[in-house]
Amino acid sequence: MSTLNIPQASKISFIQAELSAFWAMVRKELIVMLRYPVNFVASFVQTFLIVAVFTLGGSLFYKNYASQAGDAGNSGIAVYGLILFLFMSDTLWTIGYNIRNEQVQGTLEQLYLSPASKFANLVSRVTNTLIWTGLLSITGGILMTLMIGELPFKNPLLGLYLLAMVLSGTFGVGFAFAALTLVIKEASQTLANFMQFAFMVLCANFFPFRSLPPFLLFFSRLIPLSYGVDAFRSAMMGFPEGMPELAPFSVELIIVTVFGILMPIVGYYLYRWSEKEARRRGNLSNY
Amino acid sequence: MNLRIGISVMLASFRMRLTTISRYRGQLVMDIFIPIVFAYMPILLGRSAGTYAASNFASNTGTENYVGYMLIGSSVFSIVSNAFWHVAYWLRWEQESGTLEILYLAPTHRVWVVAGTALYSCVRGLFSSIAAYLIGSLVMGLNPFQGEFLLALLFILVGLLPLYSLSLLYGAIILKVKEANALVSMMQWGVSFLMGVFFPIAVFPPLLKLVALLFPPTWMTNGVRSALLGVGYFFNAWYLDLAVLWAFILVVPFFGYWVFSRTEISIRKNEGVGQF
Repeated sequence: MSTLNIPQASKISFIQAELSAFWAMVRKELIVMLRYPVNFVASFVQTFLIVAVFTLGGSLFYKNYASQAGDAGNSGIAVYGLILFLFMSDTLWTIGYNIRNEQVQGTLEQLYLSPASKFANLVSRVTNTLIWTGLLSITGGILMTLMIGELPFKNPLLGLYLLAMVLSGTFGVGFAFAALTLVIKEASQTLANFMQFAFMVLCANFFPFRSLPPFLLFFSRLIPLSYGVDAFRSAMMGFPEGMPELAPFSVELIIVTVFGILMPIVGYYLYRWSEKEARRRGNLSNY
Repeated sequence: MNLRIGISVMLASFRMRLTTISRYRGQLVMDIFIPIVFAYMPILLGRSAGTYAASNFASNTGTENYVGYMLIGSSVFSIVSNAFWHVAYWLRWEQESGTLEILYLAPTHRVWVVAGTALYSCVRGLFSSIAAYLIGSLVMGLNPFQGEFLLALLFILVGLLPLYSLSLLYGAIILKVKEANALVSMMQWGVSFLMGVFFPIAVFPPLLKLVALLFPPTWMTNGVRSALLGVGYFFNAWYLDLAVLWAFILVVPFFGYWVFSRTEISIRKNEGVGQF
């Protein structure tokens, strides 16, 4: 009896320890976040400014922006694109680049000396992104709707499923970026900037894919996230004529689902590999 | 400390930062790439706006050349953004890596070290934004030397001193609130908004327009656009707009330095500059 119970008990205590470590890390991230209240305010203001810069820039191409852009379906395209862009951008910086902050502050090596779960450490960063960026997305969406015009809101459940899959895949990209950060160090800041802008263009967050020249559209089709953006906004806008633009919806749905399931696994695998390499070479804390 | 030693410290700081960045060539390539991509966003918005996009744009801005308009906006923004980013982030970096307090113990006045950082930022920003404008123009099929290219360059050069003085003001905020990342990101979008990176400031309500006009980069951007694309100077003559930038030179550096010194003294009296 006792020989049967011991492994089970240790399994339960292992899960408890993992959960406890995860919760402690989430709390620590939340506390750090709350210690910098200006960051809160600045993020909200920044969202407003992004919306304003692109809305005012876009308005110059119309005589009456609110009515003409709304008719063209631009409000839905831009608002739903903005939501995914905010998550994508925050994931790169919060999950990926945060590893670098730990390196610079000298706490990364200490984290690895502790018996705490490395997985919990990485995933705890996701929680904050979900809470914080979720709030920002809602604010940005409302602001953009006020500035551009009425927002189409169809198929909310399908939209929610697609959003969940896209976010899951995006977090996987964040894990992979964290892995890359350990390898390329200072250059990761440049790369995060580059990726942010490259995704903004190639995933056509603020405009329809048909605006892209053919050679860029070719690269867009190679990125699963583009299908996520296209499928998500097509579903939320009730599949207006000409949407989705990249592939039939059923194909996009499969791509997004596979991306959402596989990318976190691949990203985490890459992170563990990169971390082991850094530890083997003894340069985990080098920056 | 005499002037010769001060300049020598400034050049040493400049050289040190140039040496550091020369180790990260990818970053230099990105400096050129990002303004082009940034300009590409509204250009694509224009392309999706239909047949009358160019004519509507002309009625709103004074030129049909929206590609050039956006590219100039993002290239000037790149200089402005670099100025704020490099100075503010340098301060934050020194804080985080624990070397800011050591700088205060050195027998060199900080202003020379900051000047070295500003000089480095200036060279890097000018090089990358001019390269971005030239490469972007070639890629998008524009003539980069249309209009008065040298006059455009003059607007940039005259605007640099008030711009870097403003970055000192921003550095003071970073020292005070100690939260560089979000502030720098917000500032980048705030600056682009105020200077009219993709639109004329005429679209602003009167109060906001006044604030934008008190911001030197707004005059730089409009000066360059007017010189190259003929969108129209604020005072209808290039020398009057340029005179406003000269007026900024007389006021902003002293104001920036005064605010920075006051902030510095207050922080040193309290928690000390090393705390973040």
